[in-house]
Amino acid sequence: MDIPVSLALPVLTAACGYWILKKNMSTHTHDTHTNDAHSHEDAHHDNVRLFLGVFLALCVLTTMSFLTYFDFWRNHVPTEVSRAFMMAVSCTKAMLVIMFFMHLKWEANWKWVLTVPASIMSALLILALVPDVGLRMRNASHERMKYAAEVPADEEAAHAEDHKPSAPHNEQPAAKNKAA
Amino acid sequence: MSDTHHAPQFDYQPALPIPNGKAFMWLFLSTEIMFFAGLIGTYIVLRFGAVAWPSTHDVHLAEIWGATNTFVLICSSVTVVLALEAAKKNNASGAKGWMLLTFLLGLVFLGIKMYEYNAKFSHGIYPQLPHSLIYEKPDVYYAQGVRTKLMKHKAELENKTDKTEEDTQKLGVVDDLLRQVDAAEVALRNEPDSLAGRIKIYELADRIYPRASVHEHRPDASHATHESSPFQLVAAQHESAHNGGHLVGLNDKYPWLELPIMIPGGNMWASTYFLLTGFHALHVVVGLIAFVFLLSMTLDRAAYGTIENVGLYWHFVDLVWIFLFPLLYLF
Repeated sequence: MDIPVSLALPVLTAACGYWILKKNMSTHTHDTHTNDAHSHEDAHHDNVRLFLGVFLALCVLTTMSFLTYFDFWRNHVPTEVSRAFMMAVSCTKAMLVIMFFMHLKWEANWKWVLTVPASIMSALLILALVPDVGLRMRNASHERMKYAAEVPADEEAAHAEDHKPSAPHNEQPAAKNKAA
Repeated sequence: MSDTHHAPQFDYQPALPIPNGKAFMWLFLSTEIMFFAGLIGTYIVLRFGAVAWPSTHDVHLAEIWGATNTFVLICSSVTVVLALEAAKKNNASGAKGWMLLTFLLGLVFLGIKMYEYNAKFSHGIYPQLPHSLIYEKPDVYYAQGVRTKLMKHKAELENKTDKTEEDTQKLGVVDDLLRQVDAAEVALRNEPDSLAGRIKIYELADRIYPRASVHEHRPDASHATHESSPFQLVAAQHESAHNGGHLVGLNDKYPWLELPIMIPGGNMWASTYFLLTGFHALHVVVGLIAFVFLLSMTLDRAAYGTIENVGLYWHFVDLVWIFLFPLLYLF
């Protein structure tokens, strides 16, 4: 059940994107065709129609990420999948806003000079944080476990082993070995 | 003798083929991208590195308001674009109308944000002391915190010269709770190795501030089991069964109590939530100030560049919220 649901929505997203792209392409050809003053009004109307199309797509995408909140979704889609899905939806929305509302689609090549370095810096920053996430997600050090609010399910067994009342205290607890 | 004919022609060649204002705005936005990438990246590390993290309903976070705010910001992005289109057509009054609508939508966003913040503050969820009532664990420190607060209430109530019927009732509630803290502490002292004392404190914390994640979103259930722990919980009697997904504990039943609450991971959640949404709200406020300046101008074709720059900034604010909404409300 979860596979059709998680497949159907990205397909819907793609359809939305295709629709907008098609609309936009028709606007573009219209612009290049007629450069005389009379077409100005038409181009304006097409622009407004395009922006409304983007707006509709953004609303649909917001609704799609909000779907993950409902019990039906939670019961049928694994958490990791819905997180990846939400991020994909957010990136799609961001691209729509940047391309159409911020006019980057129609700008000259200078746009790369400003956006690419900033994106690289941000990507590097995120990548630099990845080891932290990777190391801290599943395993915690003995020191952290001692002061943790709740023992996560994965560690509970190892923790219980470590704190057996009869066994002598182990200087190298299992949780720490796993993290190292 | 026509010097003018042979005078060298120095054409101004800008480094980027765009107005200086726009180039500056884009440079500024690229630094802003890095600023928010840092904040969001740190949030992700802290959130997924945390041993415990509260669910949204544990901390009175309502997804529907986050979604509404997303919708409001998307609408305001569209109205900025329409104002720009109107200015391009030299339709000053139209542009001003769209700009006014944008400003109002920005105010709506801030209004919803304030309402959301208030829902946290009224339950003692603050990012820092002295207002924060959050404890992380049901341990002796939590019991001590509850006892200190109860003793303060008791002293105040007993020192009152003219006691009303209500004061006597309050005193009864305080004494009853003090007995429960005593029982938990006695159990802890007498049998430090057994779970009994800790379970008593856990149950007390659950009566004071029942967490939705523990009760599995079933507010009607008076008996709930925490799946991964041996604790059998007996929830407080709920006056109103459903309160927007939140449960009614002693702190809600008797708002004057303001007892410490136990939310595992709650402090880190409050710090990251208020930092991220606070910086975003600050950007919204700056945008609103820019809109006020724009509204005092004539928004004809000459103002096109200014509207475009403010618009770029506003779209960026929208962009940040597009990522914050799922990360904070739905993850």
